[in-house]
Amino acid sequence: MSAQTVPQPTEAPQTMVEVENVRKVYRRDSQELVVLDGVSLRVPAGEFVALMGPSGSGKTTLLNLIAGIDRPTSGRVTVAGTDVTGLSESALARWRSRHVGFIFQFYNLIPVLSAVDNVELPLLLTSLSKKERRERALTALKVVGLADRAAHHPRQLSGGQEQRVAIARAIVGDPSVLVADEPTGDLDARSAHEILDLMATLNRDFHKTIVMVTHDPRAAERAHTQRHLEKGVLTA
Amino acid sequence: MKFLPFVVKHLRRNWVRTASTVLAMAVCIFLFCTLRSVLTAIDALLEASSASRLATRHAVSLVFNLPLAYGPRIASVPGVKRVAVNSWFGGSLPAKKEGKAEGGEGSTTDWSNFFPNMAVEAEPFFAMYPEYQVAPDQFQAFLQDLQGCVVGRKLADRFNWKVGDHFFLESFIPPYRKRSGPFEFVVRGIIDTDRGKYPNTDLNVMYFHYKYLREGSGRPLGAGTYWVEIEDPGQAAAVSRAIDALFENSDAQTRTETEQAFAAGFISMAGNLALLLNTIAMAVSFTILLVTANTMSMAVRERRTEIAVLKTLGFSSGQVMGLIVAEAMTLGVLGGALGIGGSKALVWLLTTTPGIKDMLAGLGLSELDIQPAVAAMGFGVALFLGFAAGFVPAWNAYRARITAMLRPA
Repeated sequence: MSAQTVPQPTEAPQTMVEVENVRKVYRRDSQELVVLDGVSLRVPAGEFVALMGPSGSGKTTLLNLIAGIDRPTSGRVTVAGTDVTGLSESALARWRSRHVGFIFQFYNLIPVLSAVDNVELPLLLTSLSKKERRERALTALKVVGLADRAAHHPRQLSGGQEQRVAIARAIVGDPSVLVADEPTGDLDARSAHEILDLMATLNRDFHKTIVMVTHDPRAAERAHTQRHLEKGVLTA
Repeated sequence: MKFLPFVVKHLRRNWVRTASTVLAMAVCIFLFCTLRSVLTAIDALLEASSASRLATRHAVSLVFNLPLAYGPRIASVPGVKRVAVNSWFGGSLPAKKEGKAEGGEGSTTDWSNFFPNMAVEAEPFFAMYPEYQVAPDQFQAFLQDLQGCVVGRKLADRFNWKVGDHFFLESFIPPYRKRSGPFEFVVRGIIDTDRGKYPNTDLNVMYFHYKYLREGSGRPLGAGTYWVEIEDPGQAAAVSRAIDALFENSDAQTRTETEQAFAAGFISMAGNLALLLNTIAMAVSFTILLVTANTMSMAVRERRTEIAVLKTLGFSSGQVMGLIVAEAMTLGVLGGALGIGGSKALVWLLTTTPGIKDMLAGLGLSELDIQPAVAAMGFGVALFLGFAAGFVPAWNAYRARITAMLRPA
């Protein structure tokens, strides 16, 4: 991925992600379930952070708040200089398309689309021409080492390859921050290692800020910083 | 347009389900267009009627004739301009229509060439039909020849009849049959019309002298109907009541109505066609709406995660909703096009198949066709069904939260 085709932000803010005193409460009937309780977190630009913790500790909820796909009950989340908690639904959708690349545990590729079509999907929301979209999607596939599989459909790819296509889809729009929810959770050790290498490369060579949720201590070791959640509270 | 390939690829995902939904939609539109076209043709037939013409028939049924003595009495009713006998002959060409008829009771008829033919009192009848245009010399020749007849241009073209040609007709109505064989006719004139002024005039008809029928049959025949021209169309109801009041205490009571009501009543002898056809169309459309809505709901339910992914990537709820509605409407477009094509093909088949086309012509439906307005309406119905079927699942996708859809169902 060259700087020409996928330009870097010229002025990256010092703090890419700032979570301030966030509470997230789910209500079911009369019961309240506090998932996050006064969480504050600061992620500098270019950082690679791993969020760890047991199941139900609120890792994924915190990640969803950072990615702008969920809203806190109270508190504030600022990403790339924008307070995402104050945005309307449609403004939030537009903001996500420009600033967030999401990597899912189960890849979540669209099965009827080829690898390159899957990668191109976020670019349908831009004003790029068909040719430009295709060029950028192929460049992103080249970055993840799958240029030769562009025409393959998800069912024709291994789990590791699918996840690499998903990473290409996440980076094709040159987002400010990459969020990854257990990106190696569904992969064998070798594939997991390759994916982590790729994410480290994106962080190191392309200066991508990455927030990754993981259970795996080996995966967490690849991050610069590890933060631990326990019962909705950041403990370390 | 850049989203169209995305929509099409999703439709190809489960092509059996897509194809069966499109086919169901096509059947619905096919029925809608075909039934609607029949109704449109019937409407056109009724619109060809004049408001200044009334029809007086036996109050019990068209099957019974009225006494000939009624004619002068009807003519004496205030507001009546002229009266003419008009009896449905119900004649068909004998199997051998050229040359002499084989004669006798046993001669066979060719029902596949059936067309409307009426015995009328020519002078008053044609005087009340300005839409029928016959060359004056031909009309005079017709009046002077008891065996003479005038035929509509379409009928003449169909049988390649020219002025002076002879042909035979035999009625299926027993009193109108004669022992010596079919009635022989001579074409004395061709009926044309001004399509600009009278676009719906049927030229697939034949008229001959009532006197020839009465004398030829050798029986004391009555009048099938009396055709009555009135001076003021605004007085149609009052004149009708006055005519019927004349015969209120007689054996053969009458029923007088406008030509349009008479034609509608004639068609409705086969039942309330409009209600029947509309009910069928509505029932089928509603069923297909449920089928398509079910298909779309299943398709959307299967794609919960994909919808969540689209929203995560930055597609707005409105865009996701638009994609689902577009998918459903694409089903509507495909089904609509297929249904209209099928309907067009069926109507073409009906109007060109010997026997069926003649039966339609006998009912005055020789102009049956899928009119552009009907095709457009059918296409509109298909689009609406697609939209309505896709709207609820699309609305659910619009409202759904990403985090809820990312969780396993």
